[in-house]
Parts: sequence; C-alpha cells; structure tokens
Amino acid sequence: METLANGLKVILRPIGQTKALSTWVTYRIGSRNEVPGMTGSTHWVEHMLFKGGGKLRKGDIDRMVSELGGRHNAFTHSDFTTYFTTLPATALDTALLIEAERMRNAAFDPKEVEAERTVVISEREGAENQPEFLVEEELWGLAFHVHPYHWTPIGYKQDLANLARDPLYAHYLRHYAPNNAVLVMVGGFDVAVAMQRVREHLAPLKPEAPPEPLRLAEPEQRGERRSDLNRPGAADLLAAAWHVPPFAHEDTPALIVLTAVLGGWRGFTSFGGGGWHPRANRLYRALVDTKLATDVGARHDMRIDPSLLVVNATLAPNASLDRVEAVLDAEVEKLRKAAPTKAEMDRAKVQVRSWTRYEQDGVTDQALLLSVMEALASWDAADATLGKVEKVRPEAVRDVARRYLVDDHRSVVRFHHAEAPP
Amino acid sequence: MTLPDRTVLDNGAILVSQAVPANPFISFRGSVPAGMTAEGPDEIGVAEFTARLLLSGSRRASASKVAERLEGIGATLEFSNAEEALAFQGRCTRETAAETVRVLAECLAEPAFPPREIERVRGEILNDLRLESDDTRHRAMRALSRLAFPKGHPYGRDPKGDEARVRTIRRADIVAFHGAHVGPYGMIVAVTGDVDRGLVEESIARPLSRLRSDGSEDAVPIRPPPAHTPRSEWIRMPHKTQADVVVGAPSVARSDPDYYALRLANLLFGRIGMSGRVGWNLREEQGLAYYAFSSLDARTAGGLWTVSAGVNPANLEKAIRGIRGEMDRMRSDPFSSEEVRRGRDNQIGSLVVSLERNAEVAGELHRMEYYGLGMDFLERFPDIVRDVSEDRVREVARKAFDPRACSMVVAGPVGKARVSL
Repeated sequence: METLANGLKVILRPIGQTKALSTWVTYRIGSRNEVPGMTGSTHWVEHMLFKGGGKLRKGDIDRMVSELGGRHNAFTHSDFTTYFTTLPATALDTALLIEAERMRNAAFDPKEVEAERTVVISEREGAENQPEFLVEEELWGLAFHVHPYHWTPIGYKQDLANLARDPLYAHYLRHYAPNNAVLVMVGGFDVAVAMQRVREHLAPLKPEAPPEPLRLAEPEQRGERRSDLNRPGAADLLAAAWHVPPFAHEDTPALIVLTAVLGGWRGFTSFGGGGWHPRANRLYRALVDTKLATDVGARHDMRIDPSLLVVNATLAPNASLDRVEAVLDAEVEKLRKAAPTKAEMDRAKVQVRSWTRYEQDGVTDQALLLSVMEALASWDAADATLGKVEKVRPEAVRDVARRYLVDDHRSVVRFHHAEAPP
Repeated sequence: MTLPDRTVLDNGAILVSQAVPANPFISFRGSVPAGMTAEGPDEIGVAEFTARLLLSGSRRASASKVAERLEGIGATLEFSNAEEALAFQGRCTRETAAETVRVLAECLAEPAFPPREIERVRGEILNDLRLESDDTRHRAMRALSRLAFPKGHPYGRDPKGDEARVRTIRRADIVAFHGAHVGPYGMIVAVTGDVDRGLVEESIARPLSRLRSDGSEDAVPIRPPPAHTPRSEWIRMPHKTQADVVVGAPSVARSDPDYYALRLANLLFGRIGMSGRVGWNLREEQGLAYYAFSSLDARTAGGLWTVSAGVNPANLEKAIRGIRGEMDRMRSDPFSSEEVRRGRDNQIGSLVVSLERNAEVAGELHRMEYYGLGMDFLERFPDIVRDVSEDRVREVARKAFDPRACSMVVAGPVGKARVSL
C-alpha cells in the first residue's frame, strides 16, 4: 500500500497464479454527499464517465476493453462510487490509462449529458416496475429524515428530469480527484513494475481541495414509523428496519452474528450470494417453514454512517401482514431475551468465515472486497472484522439486540398488493 | 494451460475437475438428465417440484437437519430445474468438501419428499407464478419462448407449469419421476478452485461413486422443436412504469456447424462493449433504454436468439424501429472486417477474463462435458474462432437476425399502442 504525493491511495495485491488483472478506482463520493434537488447526480456522473474525454473519444473505453476480452462496469453506492476493469494482466497500461482519463478529463459533452438523462430515468423506471424497489425507497425515506440516506443512489425522477449539465460537471470536478480516490489492483503483476506504471499514469494528476466532511447526522428516532403502500402487485411485502451504528463501530461484529442467527449470512458485499437462500436460521423457520412467507431475509446494511438492519419478507398468498409482523416481533423479542445457543453461534461464525473466502472468487471479487472495505473503513477490514466475529460471545448478541432492535427506533413498510387493473 | 481431469466413475457418473489455485475455496456445478425434457405428457411441472424438494429432507435427515449440516460447515448447495437437466451447484472449502458432497449425494439419492414440504413447495411455486405474472421482463420473455417453441415444447413451457397443474401434482408423481430419472446415469459434476487430484478422489469421487441407479438408463430423447410461425403479442400491464420488448426466433443447436459464426454475430449485434450495435443505437445514440442487448441460448435440440430492451412506453415505437433498423442493417450494412476482428479478439481475450472465477470455470467445464466438446476445448477455442470466416458471420447474421422470421412480445403499460416489427 502506498499513497502518492497527490493523495491517491494505492493498494496492490499480486497473485502469482493468475493471468488476469482487476483494477478498481473508488471515489469517496456517493448519494450521501448529495443535496435535495440534486439526488441521483452521483449516479448520473458515473454514467458520464464511460463517454470519453481527454485522450479518449466516446466509445473508446468500450472498444479498448472489449478488444482485450475484458469486462468493465461501475456502481454508485450511498457512500462511494467505484469503477472496475478486468483484463488480461498484460494490459495493465490500458486499465491505468482509462482510469487516469476518467479521473480528471471526462468530457461531459452537453449533447451526451442530455442523451443520458433518459437513460438514467429509464434505469429508474425499470426499478419502479419492481414493488421491492418501491418498498426499499420508502423504507429509507421513512427511517432517515435528516441524513441523505433518506434517498437512494438512483435519485428522484423529478430531480433527474431537471438537473442541468453544469452542476453535474461541477459535482464531477469537485469529487473526482486523486486525493478523494483509492486504486486497488489485484492480479498477475509484479508489484514494483505495477507501482511504476501507476506513478506514470496517475501521479501527474493534480489534487483538489478536500471535500467538506458531511456534517449531517440523523437525530435519534422517537417512536416507530410506519408506512402502508397500496398498489397493484402480486404479493404482500413486509420490510422492517432498525437503526444500527456505522460499519467501523465496535458493535458491528456482534450485529453480524445477530444477522446470521436471524436470517443467515451471505457475505460483506452482498454480491456473491447468487440464488442461494440460507435456511438454518430463525426467520426461515418461523416464516417460511410455517408457510407464512415464501421468502425472507435479514441484512446488516454496512455503511460509513449509522445505517439500518433490515428484514424483508414476501408473504404467502393466505398470510396476513399482521400475522407475519407478529411473528417477526416474537423472534426479535427472543433475541432480546436470551443469548443464541452454542449451535447457532457456531453456525453463524462458520458462515461468516466461509463467505469471507467465497467473496474472494477471482481477481475481480478480491479487488471488489478490498475496495468496498477501504471505502467503508480500511482495506483489511473484512479480515479484521472476521477476527472480531470469532470472538463474539452469545451474550454480546443478546446485548446488541437489546441496544438496537428497539421498537421506538423501528421503521416498517407494508406493501398491500392490489389486483392489477385489466 | 493444464487440461482438466476427467474421470468416469464405476456407476457411470462423470467427474471433471480443474484446480484454480488463486481462489481459496471450491465451487461445483452438476447435472442429471431429469429436467423438463424428461417429463412425459402427464408429468408437466413434476421436474420443478423434484428439484425444489431435494433439500427438503432425506431418509436420514429432516429438511432442518440438512440445512444445519450444510450451513453448520458454511457450505452452500442449490438445486434447480432447467429445460434439459436437474442442475445443482454449491460452494465449500477443502476441509468441508467431503461432508458437502456426502450431503449432495444423500439429497440426490434418498430424498424423503415429506408431504408437509411438498405443500410448502406447492405454495412457493404458486407464489412464484404470481410474482412472475407481475414482472414485465419475465412476462415478455416467457411469452416469446412460448411463441418460438409452440405446442408445449419443453423449451417454450414455463418449467413450473400453470396454476391448475401445480395444484394437482401428487407425491406419487414426484417419487416416480425421481426414481425414473435421478441417479448416477448421465450425471456430470464439475469441480474447480482449491482442489488437487487427491482431494477430488477422496472427498468428491468416493461419495459420488456410492450412488446407485435404480431407474432407467435410457436417456429421454429431446424432440425437435415444432415449426415457428412469427407472431406479435402485447401484454397490457397498465400499473407498470416501463415496458419490456423482446424480439426473437428459434436458432441453432449447440452442435450446429454454424454455432460459432452465430455466436460471433450475436456478440457484434448485441453484446460487445455497450451491448453491440443494438445497445449503441438504443442507449448511446438515442438514449431510449438503460438496457438493450441480444442473447443466443443454444441447447441440444435447438436454440433461441432474442433482442431485449426496457423502455418508457412513450418511446416504444422508436425502440422497436431501432431494433428493426439494426436487423435490416445485416443486409444493408453488414459487419465490417474491423467489427469481426474486434469480435474475434474479444472472444479469444475473454478466455482469461471470463474464467477467473471458480463458478465460471465450473460452468464452462460442465458445458464442455455436457456438449461433448472435449477436455481440450479451451485450448482449441482460439483456432475455432479464427477459423470462422467473415463471410460466414455476415451470412448467418442475415439469415438469423431476419425480422420477418421473428416474433415480438411487449409487456407493460402499452395502452392501445400497437407497432409491428
């Protein structure tokens, strides 16, 4: 690991046995840094950074990556935005050229900005077709009244319809700078050679004045918040969420074990789960085994700032939202009353241990995990957190249940499905 | 490149393995010829129940115990029903491989099919049918498959059957189907990641070799798809925001001599870079859609080629015209030599990048065995790609991407709009 003079943090993990290389550049800018009226701007900027600028014309990034048989993409999170390119390891310079141009020289051609408006709106409209998205958006809006976690990275449609090119470009210039970014490379390279290339491509880039730290903090929630959505759909949905501390907090390991006991564990980044659904957990047994729900899950949404622990359930046709919510209440009460059994603790810990390996499936996933961890806390936080998870005692799980799974700090969204119009 | 190991076990099951030392765990993927194509006319929907029930308890352990055994060692195991096979996949570590494969073998060989679990799965399938009926993308793709493969062909049917059928399936149907089709005969298991020969023999081959066949050892032949008559279907879903368009037609089987030419043509039409020509047109040039791409799904007895896009209903006509325009260009402005070169480079280069994950390697190994491509397939692949002539790529694209031969389905808030392809 090294930090260049311009502030760019560089993390290299060479792997001798692979011929591939994955390059990730993560910017410490997400939807949490947006302001009302400009929601979705970070995500829109992400789209614009595939359209060339500097030494690259529109289409060049695609062409350069695809000719090498590579893959590339990006995603915008509430806390960060990250871009990746996975290529044969011999193409290190190509990956670094793309990232260097993207960091400071994106074109933001007004015509291209305008064409992308309908694309990002289309992305949002595609999400709106899914009731689960509507529930998720409502849930975060309900739980956060002050902090920008109130909105999701896609932003509101009215903002996307009205945002102009210049503020978007200013948003880019302000936040896309080496001193607000981290470069992670994993793959088949020699560290000294790779570092030299990194310096050649990225050291000449000028830093920006550091962005202002986010000063908004969500006040303590005083009383449960509820929302009922009545819309056409196929099934009733329930989402319940409790405020939990930021990822870097000392209670996170116990909350990870709590989440695994309650609904199973599918990794830190939530990208590696695929279609696998854990079954040896309390919610599955209480809701799916009993035919009240056809799907249920719990997730600890780990973020820089205080976040949420969320439970989602898709109801079976004859089940009532009241009944499912009552069962969920009973399961939460059990967690608050008594520590998990030894078997549950062992199962939760072995799941977290195994998934920490499953999340290292190839150079792309290894670089993803390092990048996400660095954005949230520190590149080695997955291993460090795993070490702490191993030491969590059953009583600590009960204690965090009492501390955080508090009724007055809960937000609940109930989606009541109505028959679709003919 | 080290060639994968291939072993035929005494019971007929085939085990293919390759080490990927950079990845610190094991992935496996496998299949048994017990998918939809194995269903008789009176067995529609039974393969789906069978696949979903294999984790629901064995003669030795309840569903809860099976889940505890797997999750207690941090392993994952999933079964699913595909057109041609009962598929399974999972993850484990070196230390847990033997126990994971023992659970896999037990689930495959000795499922208990408890009545209570059958009723739970029945509810789950019924709910999935309802959820999918509210999904524009799923509705459009399902309808297009039905139009392309009519008369109840397994490639065109919903694997779950319909609601009435799901309600009538009995335990005896499931037990009989499982007994007739699930066993070591025709089984393929591909294993990758943190493996070596000793581990494969001890922890994977040994438990699998205990599987015994008590069913038929005659593979059920897959009947050829019936003729396709191009049609259009508009599915009104007025409560949705976006409409999904799918255009497509039956295509070549995996063993067809034109498969590689068509694969390259499809890459250029709707996959490479920002989804090829169609993605460039609809997304980059016109800004109409977040996604617009094409797919080629080649199977044993035939394939399906489709173009998909999700658009605002106000832009439906422009999007359909855009797709049509790109198909017409196969005649007026066929792929240039430069485009074909880029496509070839992409396919050859992607051998490194597309096989860096365990799951991807396991999937590819499984395909190599399933379609009889040979264990040296990946070594031969660059030559196969180079041997496809430019003219052949243009010719198959003209023929296969012909709008007159395609059906089209639109699902979403379409109102009274009706646009022909």
